[in-house]
Amino acid sequence: MEKMSRVTTALSSNSITGRTMFCHLDAPANAISVCRDATQVVVAGRNIFKIYTLEEEQFVEKLNLRVGRKPSLNFSCADVMWHQMEENLLATAATNGAVVTWNLGKPSRNKQDQLFTEHKRTVNKVCFHPTEVYMLLSGSQDGFMKCFDLRKKESVSTFSGQSESVRDVQFSMKDYFTFAASFENGNVQLWDIRRPDRYERMFTAHTGPVFCCDWHPDDRGWLATGGRDKMVKVWDMTTNRPKEIYCVQTIASVARVKWRPEKKFHLATCSMMVDHNIYVWDVRRPFIPFATFEEHKDVTTGIVWRHQHDPHFLLSGSKDSTLYQHMFKDATRPVDKANPEGLCFGLFGDLAFAAKESLISSDTNRKPYPGGDRRYPIFFFKKPDPTEQFAHVSSALSVFETDLDSNRMDWFVKTAQLYLLSGKPFAELCDHNAKVAQELKRPQVSTTWTMLRIMFSDPANLTAPGLNHNLSKLGPMPLMNSFSIKEIGPGVGTESRLERSKGESRQDNIHLDPGNSHISNNEENEETEGSEGQAEYMFIDAELDDDDLYSMEHDNQAEEQEYTLPQEAFQLRHEIIDNPSAPEHLQQDKADSPHVSGNEAEVTCLTPIESFSLISISQPLYNPHLPASFFCPIVREMLSYYAEQGDVQMAVSVLIVLGERIRKEIDDLTQEHWYMSYIDLLQRFELWNVSNEVIKLSTCSAITCLNQASTTLHINCSNCKRPMSNKGWICDRCHQCASICAVCHHVVKGLFVWCQGCSHGGHLEHIMNWLKSSAHCPAGCGHQCEYT
Amino acid sequence: MFVARSIAADHKDLIHDVSYDFHGRRMATCSSDQSVKVWDKTENGEWHCTASWKTHSGSVWRVTWAHPEFGQVLASCSFDRTAAVWEEIVGESNDKQRGLSHWIKRTTLVDSRTSVTDVKFAPKHMGLMLTTCSADGVVRIYEAPDVMNLSQWSLQHEISCKLSCSCISWNPSSSRAHPPMFAVGSDDNNVSCGGKVQIYEYNENTRKYSKAETLMTVTDAVHDIAFAPNLGRSFHVLAIATKDVRIFKLVPMRKESTSTGPTMFEVQIVAQFDNHNSQVWRVSWNITSTLLASSGDDGCVRLWKANYMDNWKCTGILKGDGSPLTGLSGQPTAMSTMMGSSVQTSQNAINGMSAGRYFFPPLEPPTVGTRYGHLLPPSSLIEHCEAEPVQPQPLALPHRLSSKTLLSLPEAEGQ
Repeated sequence: MEKMSRVTTALSSNSITGRTMFCHLDAPANAISVCRDATQVVVAGRNIFKIYTLEEEQFVEKLNLRVGRKPSLNFSCADVMWHQMEENLLATAATNGAVVTWNLGKPSRNKQDQLFTEHKRTVNKVCFHPTEVYMLLSGSQDGFMKCFDLRKKESVSTFSGQSESVRDVQFSMKDYFTFAASFENGNVQLWDIRRPDRYERMFTAHTGPVFCCDWHPDDRGWLATGGRDKMVKVWDMTTNRPKEIYCVQTIASVARVKWRPEKKFHLATCSMMVDHNIYVWDVRRPFIPFATFEEHKDVTTGIVWRHQHDPHFLLSGSKDSTLYQHMFKDATRPVDKANPEGLCFGLFGDLAFAAKESLISSDTNRKPYPGGDRRYPIFFFKKPDPTEQFAHVSSALSVFETDLDSNRMDWFVKTAQLYLLSGKPFAELCDHNAKVAQELKRPQVSTTWTMLRIMFSDPANLTAPGLNHNLSKLGPMPLMNSFSIKEIGPGVGTESRLERSKGESRQDNIHLDPGNSHISNNEENEETEGSEGQAEYMFIDAELDDDDLYSMEHDNQAEEQEYTLPQEAFQLRHEIIDNPSAPEHLQQDKADSPHVSGNEAEVTCLTPIESFSLISISQPLYNPHLPASFFCPIVREMLSYYAEQGDVQMAVSVLIVLGERIRKEIDDLTQEHWYMSYIDLLQRFELWNVSNEVIKLSTCSAITCLNQASTTLHINCSNCKRPMSNKGWICDRCHQCASICAVCHHVVKGLFVWCQGCSHGGHLEHIMNWLKSSAHCPAGCGHQCEYT
Repeated sequence: MFVARSIAADHKDLIHDVSYDFHGRRMATCSSDQSVKVWDKTENGEWHCTASWKTHSGSVWRVTWAHPEFGQVLASCSFDRTAAVWEEIVGESNDKQRGLSHWIKRTTLVDSRTSVTDVKFAPKHMGLMLTTCSADGVVRIYEAPDVMNLSQWSLQHEISCKLSCSCISWNPSSSRAHPPMFAVGSDDNNVSCGGKVQIYEYNENTRKYSKAETLMTVTDAVHDIAFAPNLGRSFHVLAIATKDVRIFKLVPMRKESTSTGPTMFEVQIVAQFDNHNSQVWRVSWNITSTLLASSGDDGCVRLWKANYMDNWKCTGILKGDGSPLTGLSGQPTAMSTMMGSSVQTSQNAINGMSAGRYFFPPLEPPTVGTRYGHLLPPSSLIEHCEAEPVQPQPLALPHRLSSKTLLSLPEAEGQ
């Protein structure tokens, strides 16, 4: 033994060279084995039994051991092993239950030496003793293991596992007399060759068959086992009870396991089905292969390290009829492709970040793992080598929470909740929304709302006062052109904005004055239409400039528009008269609006709720002002701008508030897209009420039907307790209205609240009031209702 | 600006993916240790692990949430060549009391013959659809015909991308003007293989997905890819993590009604940053798509934002372990996690805006092989622009302490 190991060590100093290469076999391989000096490999299978020499660049077939015209079943090999001391000696396990030895030194073509036909069924494994020349062990499907002395004609001893079939037998490297056997029922047994009557030890290693086992070459008493349960386990056999010290989870059943030479924690595995790859694992990091060889196209059946002291060459045979030599440096490293980081933006602007710890802690101020790294036993400290770095990894997870409002999306939620989209006159909606935006420190949005109000409100009543103020307050401004404003810069812009907001508040007072005075005021100030339009635009520019970044595009538009102003204004006004679909919102707004000029008052008297004729009547009130439609292209541009800036909220809100004024300007598909996006956002933030309001107010058919799709309400009649079949509220059977308020006996429209105990109910406020004073059901059924 | 809250994840190997749910209140992590963990945010903003279970028999590369309309559903994909769909079960009361929830496997998708590298649910308006991509270059689209039955998934499309796929992203646009579209990135290292980002679009007539575009300028391995939330835009924005961060804009060209082929896109590169000085692993958009976060091998998260001119620039650097960023290759300290009140930050934003402005020339659709690298100012310049007024160290201190205390109590955190 001593002598042998010295010889092999000496051999290892002659470094083996080679490259990743392969050769085609005639038939699928079942097993391979390499001779001691790593120059030849034997490939065995059902229909193949050949020896190849390993040249620098290629495999060269040296010998075909399958001779004879009609090869016997003895040639059909399940396993093969080359003796590690006697280089002419081979053993095969035949599928017919024979154990055959082969002597390459024989002069005849048939090298068959000995034949043992003692096993009743397929022999799964043969194993030479590592140091004893004539000792051969076999394990068979019939559940027996036999030990042969090659000098004798028959087995020396038979070991009965008392378990199921034997899948693997391996002599211990450490203990001369010990071998391990693995069984199909999940057990592993340790035997002493001298005591064939009973195993020394037995333990259950896997659930399901244990297909393979391998002793650690550095005689540490470590045994690796692999099973159908897709696991590789490493057992410490030196303790009283075998202790599982590592467990590697692979992705398919483990057919072979081989410790990697010279690398203490590495082992190679291959699978017997599905997975064709060969994996090399670092048992300390059991989740991800250290290296992978992906060359084979079919199941890999045999793996062997070319030289027992060289970790860089792996040989493999496969069912795809190829024999490969893999160079370790050519292996793929899954960990290189594995993402070491995870990153995700949360809804509220928080950022979850997980990263490999070695990436985020620089070496100088490396933080020790809290509480020490307990997961991996520390065996030795060396300067870091790649495999050590591979083995010790962990990730740190942290969430970055932002405290910056603009990132946190609070503005979105607040805006969504506070915006008014309907139910008030247009101007008030705009003012309200402008205020909301102002309070949330979004001056640009706020300004936009104010602008919209000015643009689209009835010019006679609304634009004029604003304009008047503007003109009087910012006296010289209209005379400047837009370029000069830019030069003034943001500081002035802010000032003007401040003034503006003051002006607004004052303007509200003026608002209440009779409309005529405004008109007269307006007429006083009016010079030409063009100049007035300019004035208005100047004002807009000034507003925007306080947010200096955004002004540019608008500036350009404004300028362009200015030049075409006079003609367009007239044309469009006439178009409006012709336009039969008068803006609905506008009319309603006017009907509700507090400031009523003489003409309007008449109309509202005639048709207090909806007045279709209103627009034509109020038309004469239009001063020679810019008609609202003049602004539509600009507003459209603006909405698109907001949408493309990611503020679809603004786009949709404006769309709803402006209603018919702008709707026609934007194609339906875009509108629908905006609505969908906004609704999706609202639902993300769980703003269901707002979302429903938006759906309700939307004018796109595709959106309004959102709430009607796949919503079914099953109702039972409150009188007869039977399901209501009809669409209406009258029960088919008892012919009573099902939704009558128990308090006021009127039909409930809207919110209906009912007691789940007695099914009586009614208007929310009625029931609430009732239950304040009485504990019993208002219907008189005697049930003790409770409103929570 | 940002406060780092360290979480004792207690994964036994690398965490490969983190994913927020639709409402931002839950988080899922997946790791090479073959497990997925679900974290729920408590009222006071702390994250608690409410479920942790073994999902696969290999590294779990990605985890993703389905739209909550379909229930609390997760999908994961793994090195073990499978993808799986998980559903949370409203558990027994004692589970609830312990603050744990139960997830059960609804299906395993076993069609792939190699590692499944990414899994994504399609946008909600397409129904309940799941897409996987695998290392052998196949994208598979599954559909659950019955959204109530998560155990039945039928393979609808199998698209071969020729290159090993590493990531996939759906275009989230719900507009009818935009047919379903996804982008696939490849981590193939071979530069000569051409463009590593392919864009596929659904064709209504053929009922198949066909390639609409290949981003030929992206020739290096792509690790992550993300469409920005669309939010009513007419064009699409795509962020790519490769050896640098890139942002592309895809503007659909007006299609003639007669043509049946895939939409033509005008592809513009909007930004390209190599500030990470290393491989970039992840990109993620915020919900309004105004902010892009990227993380690289340098262990930092960088935040990118566009100004009104659509010029993107770095607005922040976050160090993964929450420590202030020390000079990276001699660059001045930029904004780090712990720094500054919001006032300073906003000031910084303005400073950055005025000082850090740099422009790309008028954008044209990139031609094959065009490189835009030279258009960038040297990275040191960019960094310098964001240089903060000297940050007071004491400010940083309390935060660091707090994060440390969190670190030292992993058990309490991990409950």
